[in-house]
Amino acid sequence: MVPLPYVLGLAALLFSLGLYGVLTQRNAVRILMAIELMLNSVNLNLVGFARYLEPDRPGGQLFAIFVMTVAAAEVAVALAIILVIAHRRDDVDIDKINLLKW
Amino acid sequence: MSLDLISFIVLGIITLVSGYLVVASANLMHAALFLGLSFVGVAGIYLVLGAEFLAAAQILIYVGAITTLIVFGIMVSNLQDLKAGGRGVWARVVRNLASFRRGLVPLVAAAGFAILMLVIYRQSLWPAEAPPASGSNLATVGRLLFTEYVVPFEIASVILLAAVLGAVALSRRDDQPPAGSTGQAAPAAERKEGR
Repeated sequence: MVPLPYVLGLAALLFSLGLYGVLTQRNAVRILMAIELMLNSVNLNLVGFARYLEPDRPGGQLFAIFVMTVAAAEVAVALAIILVIAHRRDDVDIDKINLLKW
Repeated sequence: MSLDLISFIVLGIITLVSGYLVVASANLMHAALFLGLSFVGVAGIYLVLGAEFLAAAQILIYVGAITTLIVFGIMVSNLQDLKAGGRGVWARVVRNLASFRRGLVPLVAAAGFAILMLVIYRQSLWPAEAPPASGSNLATVGRLLFTEYVVPFEIASVILLAAVLGAVALSRRDDQPPAGSTGQAAPAAERKEGR
């Protein structure tokens, strides 16, 4: 059986990878991917705690399902926004996207 | 070393390496595909932790929908990856070391977070090994989802509906460019049409 700190440590490493990606990347699509990595690491934490603290009533797994739902909604809307920006400007560098309306 | 632990370590290495390549790979499409591989690794870890329904949902939603959506978005919009400088992430880190926003600060923030959490996890007391769940995971999750968590479940469906409407409304192609923005919108539209 996997010790709980191993799961949490893996999730922490995955989260910091995603954090580094969000902070340093300039391409909006890649920032979106890094955010997905961070959401996955949070889900790992939830599932790990659900396995160890209440295996018969896994509330953490249900929260992970809701996180997945919100992540899917977020990706759909964010990609639509990115596609609109890419159609209008041929560029998704977030350093250059600094106007709400142009 | 039990079989669980071995498979956890293998899946964890797969997840971490492909997560690293999502951030570090020079090609945007490769990054998207490595993201899918990382999701598959996380799904395997869910299986090791006894969350079968969640593993299936992870494969269906993340690998099947989100990765496909991102790949599709990259291909439709013909996005070229920005020239981030250097082939890998370390070349970029070294080059950007002087810059405040992309150099040392994100590296220190991310590595500091990871080290802090690992130190805390190492020094904490953890619950003893729990017995495996009785009954099937799918039945338990389904029962909880439709009794105790039914309100969040319904709210999630409303969120999905709103997201679908928002995505459709945003990506709808207007034939008439909006007044006032023709100066910048028209050349891009013509370029798309000419392709």
